[in-house]
Amino acid sequence: MTTNQEGSDPPASPVDVSRVCVSMDAPWDARNEQLTDILRTSAERPTLAEAQVRQVLEQGLNINACDGNRWRVLQLAEYFQAPMCIRDLLAYALREGSAALAAPAVKAPVRGLDIEFCGSARGYFRIWAVNLCLTLLTLGIFSAWAKVRKKRYFYAHTRLDGTPFQYLGQPLPILKGRIVAVVLFLLWYLSSHFFIAWMPALSGVAALLAPWVLVRAAAFNARYSAFRNLRFNFNARYWDGVCTLYAWGLIPLILIGGFILWKWQQPQLLIIAALVFAVYVPFWLARIKRFLVGHSQFGGVAGKLNISGGKFYFIYFKAGLLASGLSIISGGAAFVITKITHDWALGSAMALLALVPSYVGYVIVYAYMQTQTGNLVWNNTQLGPLQFQSTLATRRLVELYLSNGLAILMSLGLLIPWAVVRSFRYRAQCLRAQLQGEWSDFNGSEASSVHAAGAEVGEMFDLDFSL
Amino acid sequence: MTTEPINLDGIYYDGRRPLGVNATLNISASGVTLTGREDAPHYALPELCVSPRIAQADRFITLPDGGQFQCADSALLDRFTQASAEGWVAWLEAKVTVAVLGIAVVMAALLLGYFYGLPKAADYIAARVPLATERAFGEEGLAWMDENQLLLPTAVEEGKQNLLRERFNSLYQGLAQAPNYQLEFRNAPRFGANAFALPGGTIVITDALVNLTASYAELLAVLAHEIGHVEHRHTLRLMLQNAAVLLAVSTVVGDAATLGVAAVPTVLAQTQYSREFETEADEFAFALLKQHGVSPDAFADIMVRMAQLQQKAGANEPLSFLSTHPMTDARIERARAAARAGS
Repeated sequence: MTTNQEGSDPPASPVDVSRVCVSMDAPWDARNEQLTDILRTSAERPTLAEAQVRQVLEQGLNINACDGNRWRVLQLAEYFQAPMCIRDLLAYALREGSAALAAPAVKAPVRGLDIEFCGSARGYFRIWAVNLCLTLLTLGIFSAWAKVRKKRYFYAHTRLDGTPFQYLGQPLPILKGRIVAVVLFLLWYLSSHFFIAWMPALSGVAALLAPWVLVRAAAFNARYSAFRNLRFNFNARYWDGVCTLYAWGLIPLILIGGFILWKWQQPQLLIIAALVFAVYVPFWLARIKRFLVGHSQFGGVAGKLNISGGKFYFIYFKAGLLASGLSIISGGAAFVITKITHDWALGSAMALLALVPSYVGYVIVYAYMQTQTGNLVWNNTQLGPLQFQSTLATRRLVELYLSNGLAILMSLGLLIPWAVVRSFRYRAQCLRAQLQGEWSDFNGSEASSVHAAGAEVGEMFDLDFSL
Repeated sequence: MTTEPINLDGIYYDGRRPLGVNATLNISASGVTLTGREDAPHYALPELCVSPRIAQADRFITLPDGGQFQCADSALLDRFTQASAEGWVAWLEAKVTVAVLGIAVVMAALLLGYFYGLPKAADYIAARVPLATERAFGEEGLAWMDENQLLLPTAVEEGKQNLLRERFNSLYQGLAQAPNYQLEFRNAPRFGANAFALPGGTIVITDALVNLTASYAELLAVLAHEIGHVEHRHTLRLMLQNAAVLLAVSTVVGDAATLGVAAVPTVLAQTQYSREFETEADEFAFALLKQHGVSPDAFADIMVRMAQLQQKAGANEPLSFLSTHPMTDARIERARAAARAGS
């Protein structure tokens, strides 16, 4: 794009203005003539002309024009030697779109954006009921439609800066993905029960497939998510997935796999494996998160996640301490509960009761990891001018999960939609976005437009594996 | 279509920048005009593609030139080309009665399926899959346990083994799966006094159990129980039923999977099936024993002895609600009752 240059010379050969105007699309002719007039006068009376230029631009000589038109506007401004302030204004407007003109032409201050979830348990209940019923009656075939409907509901009721998200996925590719996933699951189930000797070979195949699944699933989710008529994108390839999953730490993974597959009975090796695992996994997970965020794109801007594995390590270390502390307490509690009751009739009820402390412990550790990693990742994610602030609290999440679990058990599952909606709402409440700049910093290409045909290419391989 | 023009107010997005412009779609007999964009483009109705209806959320109309128009849901949009053939699902979702009916159907389907449909279906399939096809699974499993020293070579002397095999052979004569039976002796400190049927008809009995039994009758009682498992195709049926339960539970609870409640119903449901199969194998054993002139009392005796051994080892009685075997007392009681009924 042509920008104004300091002290630009008049063009060597004068531009035939009438020719320029005629060559433009019909609807723009009138406006170009008007602009030509304004620019002509602006050379004489700059202050008056500026307001008029602004007005013309606001009317629509803006981002909707094709690139050729914009370019010619600048040419005209240069030709008429319009005052610098007008050329600046034009250049800015062409870069940012006319909406930017409504705001003062200075860098916008940081603006907080609302993220709100406006779905309701009542509304989701109907979708859930239909999904569940048809999925069971069709022996799972409808689950692809169910997934799409659920995603559509949650996307459509999540608003960022007042605009809902859009889920564009179609049931059939998801159905294909699910068939593949079910076949793989059956293979795994059969071999883990009967063909135990096949496990190393199958694990090898799984290891080869894992990067592919990671990349395809992320790509599917990104490409079928849209906001304000721009698709998200995920631009990594299989090899990037391989590098992320294996390159740095192939040896620890082989060690772990080897121990698990062949020599898991020997306690000293198990301890070594556990140590390798404990040291390695947080760094590995950080790598995967960085990979997922870093290759996600919106409007030509790639995400960035500024965290090292060290922070993850800290979270997992604390979670490990918490887990061991809690398992001692819950184990003790369970022991006491079983010892207190010698009455066998009561025994069965007590057996369930003995599981409660372990469940609570599990929920606490799970919620802790969720809040800490969630906050860490969101707070360090940047998407162009967008930054995020996540304020999940472990205590609140534990309360939420425990009350959800209890409600679901007591209602025999009928309150599942309610539990899902209130968990989602809490997460949305805890997330805030900040726009440091303008929405127009995102600049979509044809490919990112929802309509683009390019995104449909490779639909066959857009298998969604998330079950 | 009505002749008077209809206006839809909404927001226009050009597909290049995430900026919305207030706009209006003007629908008339001659087509659709978008006002709000400077060139006020005109489209034919079929060119516009509208996103599926979901609850009362806003809908998005995709324009042929890559733009998009967001507007509130309205019945008017049904006239447009639909982006996805989900209209019928949205229609179902809009009705409260459908939701209530759906829940009723789900409950009925789950209960019927669990208590009736699933066991019947698994039985039907198992009856049509020859036992010999399972043989590879069983051999694989046995070889793996041998290799990994979960099972060690037996210390039971040849003579006793042969004697036992003879008794065992006569026990299964005339049964449907007779050609497939095989008895294996193993020393298995990890399993204690135990016997188990592998897929394909191989029955493994541990040295500890052989040593624990006071008579051949008791050993035959245990073997008859395992033969019961094989005859009723419990391995295959359990596998099929458990897989189906796992799938059903994860379908139902799937939405709340992150809450960690999925495990409870799965384990409970699967345990119930195992217990039913144990009872079924017991009943089969009692009948088979009586047919061969052995009193089911022998079964009760060996059960008592196994329970005593467990107590001595310090292991608590597994809490019955979660245990695979029905409470030992109940099983012993049933064996005694069967013995009384027979004599």
